[in-house]
Amino acid sequence: MRRGLLTTVGVVVTAAGLFAQVSGREQLARGKALWNQRLSKSAIAALEAAARDRETASEAHEALGRLYMFKGWQQENVFPGWHDEPGFRERALAELKSAVAADPSRASAQEALRIAEGFAAADAVEPAPPRPEIRALDAKIAGTSVPDLLAAVEERAKAQADPSPYFTGAQLLIDRGEYDRAIALAERGAVASDTFIDENLSAYQLTGKSQGSYARGRATAADLVGWARFLKKDYAGATAKLDEAARLSQDQDFVNQFHLGELARAQNAPARARDYYLSALSLAGGPPPLRQRATQALAALQPDQPNGFDAWLETELARRRDERRAAALKSLVDRPLPKLPLSTVDGRPFDTSGLRGKVLLLNFFASW
Amino acid sequence: MPHLKASYAKYQNDPTVAFLLVSIDEDAKRLQRYLNEMKFPFPVSRIDPAKAQELMRFDNTPSTFYVDRDGIVRYQLTGGEPHGDSPGRVAWFIDQLKK
Repeated sequence: MRRGLLTTVGVVVTAAGLFAQVSGREQLARGKALWNQRLSKSAIAALEAAARDRETASEAHEALGRLYMFKGWQQENVFPGWHDEPGFRERALAELKSAVAADPSRASAQEALRIAEGFAAADAVEPAPPRPEIRALDAKIAGTSVPDLLAAVEERAKAQADPSPYFTGAQLLIDRGEYDRAIALAERGAVASDTFIDENLSAYQLTGKSQGSYARGRATAADLVGWARFLKKDYAGATAKLDEAARLSQDQDFVNQFHLGELARAQNAPARARDYYLSALSLAGGPPPLRQRATQALAALQPDQPNGFDAWLETELARRRDERRAAALKSLVDRPLPKLPLSTVDGRPFDTSGLRGKVLLLNFFASW
Repeated sequence: MPHLKASYAKYQNDPTVAFLLVSIDEDAKRLQRYLNEMKFPFPVSRIDPAKAQELMRFDNTPSTFYVDRDGIVRYQLTGGEPHGDSPGRVAWFIDQLKK
């Protein structure tokens, strides 16, 4: 009798322990999955619950610490309008310290803590201020006559090798109707941009960032050249360059999308023009006068809407933003190619070692 | 698909560029017939369609990915849309990544 009772108690205790363990595990898995979806509020709630379970405390604190590192230092522009949240930096360090305290042998938590401490130390260093002599030379580019302007661009480019004087100069030349000179300057800007990035490649630290910067420089140049050609009424030449800029900026640049809208309108393609204007307006940025011009052009293209133009526009823009957000979450662009379980056509394992280090075109197809 | 054969001509002797086709066909005989007809000059492999969709996150074929030398996916084009379909466009994407 007495023995029977003891056994029963033992079973109950074990079951309770098991239950708590499963629940912490579940919360941890849930929190990680939510964070993979970038649903941070719910992810934090689940991970905090998992951190209260001794069984999963270390792993949950580490996951929280990594999430806070992302929020504190890494989420700038990950989605349009996102910024780093410096308030999370201390919390990231605290969570990672808790992870190491809960399980001192947890190497991944130690590694994350070391990285976060590195981030924090780097924050303490003051960045170099813009050099006053360069700013003075920048200001001179708005010079009155074209020869003055060109001379000012050369002087500024000689003082510091980044491409911005070429691009500023090209824009000013376009404003003055000097299209051929603008094109020449923009093209030099593209070369200067690549060279400047090559020279400072290590400053980017991540290949993704330097690739993004190459693309930005080339996109700026292509858009300027395309716009100058458009103003010269060379529509075929404009199409080639403005399309190139769109590919380079992945359709994410307000000014370029606006330019494509203007081009389509000039070519009497109202449906295409409307798409580009909508695409432009759904993006952040762009000077207010251009945004206003895009809105007015749209209003002119858009036959009467039952609920009014403004309501129609708001619905269209919201839909585009949602689509873009969904695509950004889903796309593999700028992420490592996953390891693929490939086989040969006759069913043997496919050896991919020969592809390493090469630029790869990977095409998925079906014969039907 | 013929545009890929035409595009490949520019790169067939370039050791820094590779083309790889991945079929999601489940019917091996049908695939073999198609390949006999197309005679692609570059390798063709196969993958389980559900696996491919899960790993590469596309929802239409053809889907083309351009991967840089470090193994990072840089461009993704889904469907037979005009932007991805001429040798000039294919070369443009590859040349961006070769620079």
